[in-house]
Amino acid sequence: MPLFGKPHKSPADIVKTLKENLAILVKHDKKADKASDEVSKCLVSMKEILYGSNDKEPHTETVAQLAQELYNSGLLISLVENLQVIDFEGKKDVCQIFNNILRRQIGTRCPTVEYFCSHQEVLFILLKGYETPQVALNCGIMLRECIRHEPLAKIVLHSDDFHNFFGYVEMSTFDIASDAFATFKDLLTRHKVLVAEYLGQNYDAVFADYEKLLHSDNYVTKRQSLKLLGELLLDRNNFTVMTRYISKPENLKLMMNLLRDKSPNIQFEAFHVFKVFVANPNKTQPIVDILLKNQTKLIDFLNNFQNDRSDDEQFNDEKTYLIKQIRDLKKPTS
Amino acid sequence: MSARELQHLDYLNENELMEMDTFIHRIDSTEVIYQPRRKRAKLIGKYLMGDLLGEGSYGKVKEMLDSETLCRRAVKILKKKKLRRIPNGEANVKKEIQLLRRLQHKNVIQLVDVLYNEEKQKIYPHQMLDSVSEKRFPVFQAHGYFCQLIDGLEYLHSQGIVHKDIKPGNLLLTTDGSLKISDLGVAEALHPFAEDDTCRTSQGSPAFQPPEIANGLDTFSGFKVDIWSAGVTLYNITTSLYPFEGDNIYKLFENIGKGDYTIPEECGPLLSDLLRGMLEYDPAKRFSIQNIRQHNWVRKKHPPSEPPVPIPASAECRDPWRSMTVVPYLEDLHGYTEDDDDDELYDGEDEIIYTQDFTVPGQVVEEELHQGSTDPSLAVAKPVCVNGTEGGSLNSKTKAERRSSSSSNPSRKGLSTASKIRKLSTCKQQ
Repeated sequence: MPLFGKPHKSPADIVKTLKENLAILVKHDKKADKASDEVSKCLVSMKEILYGSNDKEPHTETVAQLAQELYNSGLLISLVENLQVIDFEGKKDVCQIFNNILRRQIGTRCPTVEYFCSHQEVLFILLKGYETPQVALNCGIMLRECIRHEPLAKIVLHSDDFHNFFGYVEMSTFDIASDAFATFKDLLTRHKVLVAEYLGQNYDAVFADYEKLLHSDNYVTKRQSLKLLGELLLDRNNFTVMTRYISKPENLKLMMNLLRDKSPNIQFEAFHVFKVFVANPNKTQPIVDILLKNQTKLIDFLNNFQNDRSDDEQFNDEKTYLIKQIRDLKKPTS
Repeated sequence: MSARELQHLDYLNENELMEMDTFIHRIDSTEVIYQPRRKRAKLIGKYLMGDLLGEGSYGKVKEMLDSETLCRRAVKILKKKKLRRIPNGEANVKKEIQLLRRLQHKNVIQLVDVLYNEEKQKIYPHQMLDSVSEKRFPVFQAHGYFCQLIDGLEYLHSQGIVHKDIKPGNLLLTTDGSLKISDLGVAEALHPFAEDDTCRTSQGSPAFQPPEIANGLDTFSGFKVDIWSAGVTLYNITTSLYPFEGDNIYKLFENIGKGDYTIPEECGPLLSDLLRGMLEYDPAKRFSIQNIRQHNWVRKKHPPSEPPVPIPASAECRDPWRSMTVVPYLEDLHGYTEDDDDDELYDGEDEIIYTQDFTVPGQVVEEELHQGSTDPSLAVAKPVCVNGTEGGSLNSKTKAERRSSSSSNPSRKGLSTASKIRKLSTCKQQ
């Protein structure tokens, strides 16, 4: 075999070889070792086509051919589906190939996004990936790339499987749980108009689950979800969701309890949600009732709340404002 | 210059310093500018002052080096005397600081620190770099900037902030090509519970104002004002022209108020359609951020057709690479004398000057300590390297090379800190 200038395989050949060897790997038979080598080699040559090599830029036509082959053969999806049988480096290669193909644009069209829209199962395979530790992080990378595209984010958000996130972010494996949270946060913040619409339509279901996160025994989950809640409520796109949230007395009670959490960081995040209830010029009666009932206690509490943050001007201004608001609350003249 | 500068600093009011990205660039040895002048070091708190980056009506913008983290920063120096001459000058500055403190987005300028000098004067810091200047960019480049502008604007609007003065001059570029919206001096933060984005006042730049303001309406949608101004900005950076002109502000407002404008043919149908959507006379029909995002011109991939327009060279020393300017001051601070200097130094240094590796700023300190640094504050700097994960390892190699080269060749002993630091330009810091 010549050392140099080994003729390059065509995209169709690579896809074919990869598909065959992947099938052998999945079956776990004797030839698995050799198949694994072949799979790695094919993945490397695919990567070279897509990303170019040292001195060569990727060739647009070959890239287009490869993409077409990947769609037609269904290989792109079966790579994701069988990710756990591919070796460590190979998994990373699959991620890179997947993300590159996904970003591909022809003028204003994103062919891979269109392809995934008609093959939605791939999104849910990726999501399910969080349940398999060996592939969870790879799937996370690919899933986040998917949800950069609004149509794909919409499919995930509006699916029943979206609610699985509430479990994934509390998993005991820290790296997987944080990865899941990163994806969860992306889904809820990237496409603001889409999210505002979704939260408006599914308010009860989402916030019932969300509340569990705020009660979590896991410090990180609790803190991150509280912070995200604050960001969501203070985003103007979610104005109606915010007004709805702050009209409910049970939410206020929850925040008041979190203000007394043993962790100062959780207290601080809770403060940023609590302030929205108090600053609301149109408080509902139940909210006013709770604040009035606790008026003196709240004023005392806030006066002594996190006084070590003396250099945080904004925090102190807000605190002073809240104290004034609570003090000015008048009992209904009865 | 130094004497005059010291005088200026007595008036120092407020300087602002923001996060700054720095990149090392390929430098031809002939382009390394030799600076004959001796510069006096001036430390303000932990910041070492560098050269002038730009000047505005409020005062000056200078480069600074954070001597603890070795981050490059830019500082906006505001002089009370000058501020008083600007309508609402001081109030706007206060408001801007307050707004900036709570913002954090990759396309919005970040406030790092606010310093007040002894006579109740304030300093607060800024990002370095340059306004998107008033010239035409190739479509792919304009597209890149415009998308970042929209990202930043969407963030500001989501935080309930109407910028009110979007224009190329208020968009800063970092050396790595990212865009930062700056100057929130006339911005308005909507009340968090305001139902909509109704505004009543505007102090933005006339040529970028929408018809509803030119016609003097009492109330108008704030977000749609920013959309219009972003539209004029897009018009400007793609054509180098303005949609509306006038010999004076009255004529200008009269023209804007009529709303008649033409789009040059060269823009093509897609871009023209986007511009018409953003420069729609009726604010209610004008594009929203969402409409813009979904517009085909924005979604389209624009191939690089012509070479990109580079960031203009710095004003003072005309350095197209925007190298750190604090170096001569550092030399002064650490007692380096020019007797050792030698023009020939720069020759033969090619392999180092050409390096594009990201490096760990901490190592600059090490080098300096070898030269007999006396400032303990510099030694506490943490080694940092972001942007390139391999930075550390690549760098240790360069460092070793340099060590060996400087020890083997005594003629290079006097190598100025300038060229060393130029090589070791800092990376972005957390």
